[in-house]
Amino acid sequence: MYCITDQQMDFILDDLRSKGILLEDLQQNLLDHICVLIEENLSTDGNFEQYYCTVIRSFYKKELSEIEEETRFLLTRPKYLLLLNRNQFFTPLFIIFLGPYITCAILDLTGIWPGDAWVFFTGWLALYSFPTLMVLLLTPDKYDPLIPRNARIMLGGAPIIRILPAS
Amino acid sequence: MNYSSELIKGTLKTIILKLLAGNKKMYGYEITQKVKEITKDKIQITEGALYPTLHALEADGLVTTETEYIGKRVRKYYSLSPAGKATAKEKVKEMASFMQTMALLLDIQPKTA
Repeated sequence: MYCITDQQMDFILDDLRSKGILLEDLQQNLLDHICVLIEENLSTDGNFEQYYCTVIRSFYKKELSEIEEETRFLLTRPKYLLLLNRNQFFTPLFIIFLGPYITCAILDLTGIWPGDAWVFFTGWLALYSFPTLMVLLLTPDKYDPLIPRNARIMLGGAPIIRILPAS
Repeated sequence: MNYSSELIKGTLKTIILKLLAGNKKMYGYEITQKVKEITKDKIQITEGALYPTLHALEADGLVTTETEYIGKRVRKYYSLSPAGKATAKEKVKEMASFMQTMALLLDIQPKTA
């Protein structure tokens, strides 16, 4: 097995930079990949530079910087701030609609805050929303009207939340 | 027969996510070798396609990374995040359905043993 020296690693890194690989993460990924290829395929008395040239040429069609360009392109696509699955999406909805009723009921029962009107109001809200939410939660993905496939919540034209179908 | 790069490019994300779902953590070179091994050299992932996709998956929060020093160089290991696990299942399901539809569309009969 060929053993790559520190000088040869510096040589590879310099060459990657000169060929347009500027993202440090990408440099490290390619350096490790090249090193493994050389170590596994080059004989101990093999010609490092010659083999390196063959390896690096197999990485691209026209120029090595294609990899950097593709990476930057993929990294600058719109990103979601939050990825949610169905359960994570429904939990806040249950909290929003049922939370006030449960809170008011507990406060009323314990006598801390006697507010019958609030209990009735939030109770009606819960009465309407609970069955609806349960039906939506238990509806199979493909029939779910609330979360179509690849649903996303947009804000000002930018996607901020993506809701994944149930796993 | 080796498949065209256009065909592979469209399925690369699914391939990587599925591989990571079946392995705790993998690094770039290991992924390329695993794909070659499973497909008996029919699919060879190029470095030019692999690393941009891995970086994008990381930026999307679908994979997490950890680094390990191998002498002077750094090896980056990739593993699935919780969101990545859900997406992997979704992608595989979608691919299976797509393959069935294509078989129907192109009138391909499944080979029987």
